[in-house]
Amino acid sequence: MTTETLLQRAAELLTPFAKDRARPESNRLDVAISANDLPAAAETLSNADWGYLSAITGMDLAPEADELEALYHFCDKAAVTTLRVRLPRAGRPEIPSISPQIPAAAFFERELGEMLGVTVVGTPDPSRLFLPDDWPEGVYPLRRDFKQEQAAPVETANRPEGGRVGNKFIVPIGPQHPALKEPGHFEFEVDGEIITGARMRLGYVHRGIEKATEERNWIQNLYLLERVCGICSHTHTSVYSQGVEKLAQVETPPRALAIRELVAGLERIHSHLLWLGVAAHEAGFDTLFMYSWRDRETVMNLLEELTGNRVNYSICVLGGVKQDILPEQAASIHQAIGYLEERIRYYLDVVSSDTFFLQRTRGIGTMTLDEAKRFGSLGPTARASGLRRDVRLDSPYGAYTRFPVSIVTDERGDLEARFAVRMKELLVTCSTIRAIVDNLPAGELTTRFPRKIPAGETVSRVEAPRGEVFYFIKSGGGESPTRLKIRTPSLCNWTSVLNKAVGHQLADVPMLIAGMDPCFSCNDRMVTVRGKKDSRSMTWSELREYGIQKYQGRR
Amino acid sequence: MNLLTSLFSLMIFPAGLALILSGLLYEWADRKLVARFQNRVGPRWFQPFADILKLLAKEEIKPSGLDSALFYGLPILALTGALTSALYAPILGLPPIHSFPGDLIVTLYLLSLLTISMGLAGWNASSRFSVIGATRSLTQLFAYEAPFLLALLGPAIAANSWTIRDVSAYAENHWLILTQPVGFVIALIGLMGKLELPPFDAPEAETEIVAGALTEYSGRGLALFTLGKSVELVVAVSLVAAFYLGGIGNPLLFLLKTLGIVLLMSLLQALLTRLRIDQTVGLWWRLGALLALLQILVLILVKGWLA
Repeated sequence: MTTETLLQRAAELLTPFAKDRARPESNRLDVAISANDLPAAAETLSNADWGYLSAITGMDLAPEADELEALYHFCDKAAVTTLRVRLPRAGRPEIPSISPQIPAAAFFERELGEMLGVTVVGTPDPSRLFLPDDWPEGVYPLRRDFKQEQAAPVETANRPEGGRVGNKFIVPIGPQHPALKEPGHFEFEVDGEIITGARMRLGYVHRGIEKATEERNWIQNLYLLERVCGICSHTHTSVYSQGVEKLAQVETPPRALAIRELVAGLERIHSHLLWLGVAAHEAGFDTLFMYSWRDRETVMNLLEELTGNRVNYSICVLGGVKQDILPEQAASIHQAIGYLEERIRYYLDVVSSDTFFLQRTRGIGTMTLDEAKRFGSLGPTARASGLRRDVRLDSPYGAYTRFPVSIVTDERGDLEARFAVRMKELLVTCSTIRAIVDNLPAGELTTRFPRKIPAGETVSRVEAPRGEVFYFIKSGGGESPTRLKIRTPSLCNWTSVLNKAVGHQLADVPMLIAGMDPCFSCNDRMVTVRGKKDSRSMTWSELREYGIQKYQGRR
Repeated sequence: MNLLTSLFSLMIFPAGLALILSGLLYEWADRKLVARFQNRVGPRWFQPFADILKLLAKEEIKPSGLDSALFYGLPILALTGALTSALYAPILGLPPIHSFPGDLIVTLYLLSLLTISMGLAGWNASSRFSVIGATRSLTQLFAYEAPFLLALLGPAIAANSWTIRDVSAYAENHWLILTQPVGFVIALIGLMGKLELPPFDAPEAETEIVAGALTEYSGRGLALFTLGKSVELVVAVSLVAAFYLGGIGNPLLFLLKTLGIVLLMSLLQALLTRLRIDQTVGLWWRLGALLALLQILVLILVKGWLA
């Protein structure tokens, strides 16, 4: 089905609820509905199997209008249908939950509630997901009238950590725990070794990036957004540049797009090899961990050679890329890819034939195709359950029309399948990288780019190593965005982990969490917290002063 | 005079100091080999000594809400058990200092004292990780203990004696690994279970339960437990080498034999993925115990037939 027919179908389905309808871009349909119709509209789309709920954006329309707006973005292939719900701004407006219809909405609704001060009526867990416990009540960071001073921490009792419930224990994992060298907090209720319940809490490393973008200009944001994630930094700059270029109606040169795809491919290799090591370590197979991380250095060195950096490559600029691929670099790419391909084949063999390793992955955490759909899974986690969801194919962007990739899926849905899918995906990536290097289109690297972007809204989607990254960008016509919404794939995959953990053994938990390749860094990015004045918190100028003194002392 | 020599042998040589030093060197060999297999550099030879010294110098933190006597007593008990068991084992290629009929059984129980102490230490602590680790330690103890005992019983039956000294003397003329290969494999793997080495490290799986039963231990307590483990490594490796690899023979050759066993163990550690506790128990009872029993049965039948 083409995008046009998909959108027509969506329009037909939503006719009974539509108050207003618009086609802001060729692949987008906006339907304004009233809050009360929301569950029915969501149910209609979900029953008709029209795409999946990709994100919920909350916006404060002040000062132009005294209203809030919640945007429910549904994606099917390249088509994006947005349900727009207007809410009064005064007090704490209410909106009905769509979690009963679409379970994947639960996390988005928690975020909407705490960030924008909307009561989501009927959402399964209205507690805070990202905001800290000592955040004051009634202060909503994404409201326009939010002031940093309002965020003064309030006194709170310590969270009761775990403990005993009848015959059951609650085993806390994180935020500081050897199982998870990343800041997320999980509480697993265990009966002996069997898990009977799971809860989670995020937000330990919130940096307020979404809010901060509104105070920086379009170019500065590029560097800020690169720091959303330490692993897929290029994904965030490319998805942002792609969106802003669309808003500014600037044509990016094909050579630049090809180089972006090349770097994205290398980033995917680096990310999946990193994940392979972590997942093997969680299973207690440290030899594989050490080997895969050693080989990952090859791609890290290559990225450093091409871009000058190992982590934040900083190769994207608005309207193009910063650096060219030189002929002698092409040779070293070929050499590195040759070595990596051989190693990846070997790892694919190990994870699908090592008897002891298979005991820990085969049949563990099996997620059926239906479950993957219901939980809203994305990326390799979804594809390992046979769900064909990949933005690179569904909605080819950048150079993916010129250098297409093939999709790798697996029907089994267990951890073994997730290992196989990721490794096979890397083999595809290797051949795509070769094709790009050999057929790099000639031409410019950048085009001229305006300082001010015309008013408008756009949706930009890119397939990161972990799945779809969704950006909603709104420009008011000025030098900085009015609203920038980031939805990263990890947030969508949590639902599956928490649901599938129940019934498994405690020993499987680290593997289950690692199985979806969670990224905490990109999940947590919304709020800046400045604590009370104490010895551990510093203002920017204090930090600068401290740094100067320290280095002067050393000289 | 007799008392003095006994005291000397217990405190300094061959038990005591020498045992601890050799235990730490064996531990280093194991760590270094695993590291090399994993493409890492690995520690320098004195690292295990440095670790122990550092731990001994550190403050020992006693968490609130647990029994002090047990908390301080158990590490000592664990090390004592391991050291005492050395009196009856052919350490470093020297014949056992003490010997009495049935000392094989006593030695094996002394070796288990460490695991039991660790289990109790875990139960004593109020931490969830400790309790789960302790449960796993003891569950695992019940899994490998019987097959391990049976595997060492094989040579004893062949030698017609329950005394370690007699069995190893008999083994000097008979390489029992050739006649009882199954027993050797089970003894080797049982050894890894006893020392909680991968793939049998579920009781201290760091990615799930931090450090298992010993999570709450720091400073001296942790040092004593670690020492106990090193000593147990030497004693158990010596026992297996003496029983299956041609007795004590000459000390240098014996050292090579024991190092060979350490090499095998570290290779297996690097190769295998950690088993879940249910998989460990399943492996031992469905396979280990059965094979060991079968071997004993065959042994008894063949012996009866020969006689």
